[in-house]
Amino acid sequence: MPVALTLSVSFWSDQFVNGLTTGSLYALIALGYTMVYGVLKMINFAHGEVFMLGSFAGYGALVAMGGNDLSGPAVALAILGAIIVAMSASVSASVVIERLAYRPLRGAPRLAPLISAIGVSIFLQYLVLEQTSARAKFYPDIFPRGALGAGPFEITYIQLFLIASSVAMMALLYAIIQRTRLGRAIRAVAENPTNASLMGVDVNRTIVFVFILGAAMAGVAGVLYGLFFQTIRGSMGFIPGIKAFTAAVLGGIGSIPGAMAGGYVLGLAETVGRELLNELPGVNLGNQWRDVIAFTLLVTILIFRPTGIFAQRSTTRA
Amino acid sequence: MNGRQGRSRLAWLLLAASFAMVLAAACGGDDDDDTGGGDVTYGKAGFKTIEIASGQPIKIGYSGPLSGDLKGIGEPILKAVELAAKGKTIKGHTIQVIGKDDLCSADGGASAATQLLQEGVVAVVGPVCSGAVVAAQPQYEQAGITHVSPSSTAHKPTYPDRGQVFQTFLRTTYSDDIQGPAQAKFARETLGAKTAYVVYDTDAYGTGLRDAFTRAFEKEGGKILGSEGYEKKQTDFKAIVTNIKNAKPDLVYFSGFYSEATPFIKQLRAELKDVKFLAGDGVKNDEFIKGAGADAEGAYLSLPSPVYTGEAYKTFGDLFEKETGIKRDASPFVAEAYDAASIIIRAIEKVATEKDGKLVIDLKKLNEEIRKTELDGASGKIKFDARGENAGGETPVSLFQVKNGAFEQLKQ
Repeated sequence: MPVALTLSVSFWSDQFVNGLTTGSLYALIALGYTMVYGVLKMINFAHGEVFMLGSFAGYGALVAMGGNDLSGPAVALAILGAIIVAMSASVSASVVIERLAYRPLRGAPRLAPLISAIGVSIFLQYLVLEQTSARAKFYPDIFPRGALGAGPFEITYIQLFLIASSVAMMALLYAIIQRTRLGRAIRAVAENPTNASLMGVDVNRTIVFVFILGAAMAGVAGVLYGLFFQTIRGSMGFIPGIKAFTAAVLGGIGSIPGAMAGGYVLGLAETVGRELLNELPGVNLGNQWRDVIAFTLLVTILIFRPTGIFAQRSTTRA
Repeated sequence: MNGRQGRSRLAWLLLAASFAMVLAAACGGDDDDDTGGGDVTYGKAGFKTIEIASGQPIKIGYSGPLSGDLKGIGEPILKAVELAAKGKTIKGHTIQVIGKDDLCSADGGASAATQLLQEGVVAVVGPVCSGAVVAAQPQYEQAGITHVSPSSTAHKPTYPDRGQVFQTFLRTTYSDDIQGPAQAKFARETLGAKTAYVVYDTDAYGTGLRDAFTRAFEKEGGKILGSEGYEKKQTDFKAIVTNIKNAKPDLVYFSGFYSEATPFIKQLRAELKDVKFLAGDGVKNDEFIKGAGADAEGAYLSLPSPVYTGEAYKTFGDLFEKETGIKRDASPFVAEAYDAASIIIRAIEKVATEKDGKLVIDLKKLNEEIRKTELDGASGKIKFDARGENAGGETPVSLFQVKNGAFEQLKQ
């Protein structure tokens, strides 16, 4: 294990970038949890599987377009294509789930849609596990390797791409929520569905759009995850789903900036936070401790700030 | 406000205290360094007598991964067991192999054991994975069912935590107490590695092999720069790779399975092209080369198996390839599995008696007969010591390197 004070600047900057990378993925997925909670006050536990389906759809698209044989500018086009396919797959899955598993339960006691969501989650996970005989699939190894660097600071191309595209997606989402009619409708439904419908907002349609936006983010996250870690499997949605849910709660569930911040806080806590703890004398927490640290952080923050880092305000809520 | 804050302080204190206790407990578990032979004492095994009605088959169980990422290890082993049982009859009874999927996990091993015992098996080949073996041993011992693992290499199954050795467990492969030191010697002398960084699966196999390698590597004068664990199915190894980059070891030592070694080596090679990579039997599988592609090139792998030279291996290998269509060296331990099943079948032949038209098998006698085995099998010479360890072979570790997309055996 690294010993205190011998750790270099480049080590910390590398771990920081690693934290930002996983944090970006958590944040993208967390948006889906937080927006659905904002309008429906329900936890969409099937969201991790929506992310998984996106990742598999992106994999299928990349393989269909030539897989490992892709090179040159075709790679950029293929990745763009994979992202679009993944977004469409995630969005369709999410719309179907909403229509079949959640809408019939609107107005039912709050536990009913929650149980329904868990059911959908398990169903989808095992469906894909069955189809793949529970084996991992490997994303084509097409993303250019190498890194940008200045002195001790270094970031690989794939990490740069991952962080930049998630930030861009989040900025786009934020603009939609804040600047468009649709966004205003979403905010109105979040604040008070009855009043919103009295003002002429089609509540059901707005809710479908919330699912669409969240699923699109998850679809992008699925492809980014595949390109970065290269290994995907039917059960891959579970842990990122739980982590993203944690990020959403950490940031204050229902709050969009909260979900983004929560994702990054969690990603950094698992990497930089763990290594910082290792600087204390006698502490030696290997990589296997990351989940313990993530969930200890959650419990600690909830003790002091039960509503999360970002207290819910109606203006930031979706 | 004051009261509320007081309460939350108390909650925080309790949380910190419980966390500290968990830490203490977790760290305390690491100090079992019992490698010495020592006296062997057995616990009580629940040997019974099994009667098989005429026309009914004799059931032999198998427990190993038959779905999921590690299917590539478990399926060929089951095929080898079935091959050993194929066409054999004992006093008019056919032999039926009942395969149960244990997913290579502790939970799976225990539940496969329950299912196999309910099926009325007389003996079991497996579990394949050490994590499953450790979880299943008490059940087999209580039922008096002898189980012979062809592939569990960890230290724990033959040196159980409870102290008393399990009478019903034996293995036809060799312990990591042999593989670990052999790897360490190879790393020090042949590869010239002075420093190593260890990455391990947190199950019984991964931690056992880690300990065996670490001890021997340090004894040979090497230095371990760091040691980090992961859970099965983990795909994110970036934080570990960064630590490795920072520690600058000569060698990365991986003790786990190919399912995680594949994403790990891809992420490692994306940043560190030249560091040497050494792993054990869990990674030495064609699936590793298939998954990792060019990144697998140059990796060193070891197997706790002799260099197969015997005529029996050739005969078995030809038969295996003809009957199953699987290459004999695509996945390890198939010869060991064939031998394990053959040992069980031979012992049943010797101890089974007929009474009132039924076949009677005394499980205690069966266990004694299996323990007495001396076999010149497909995987080499096999005989068991008091702990159930295979004490037959002369050159029990072979080493490989991935070259041009294939495993090339290294001369020793």
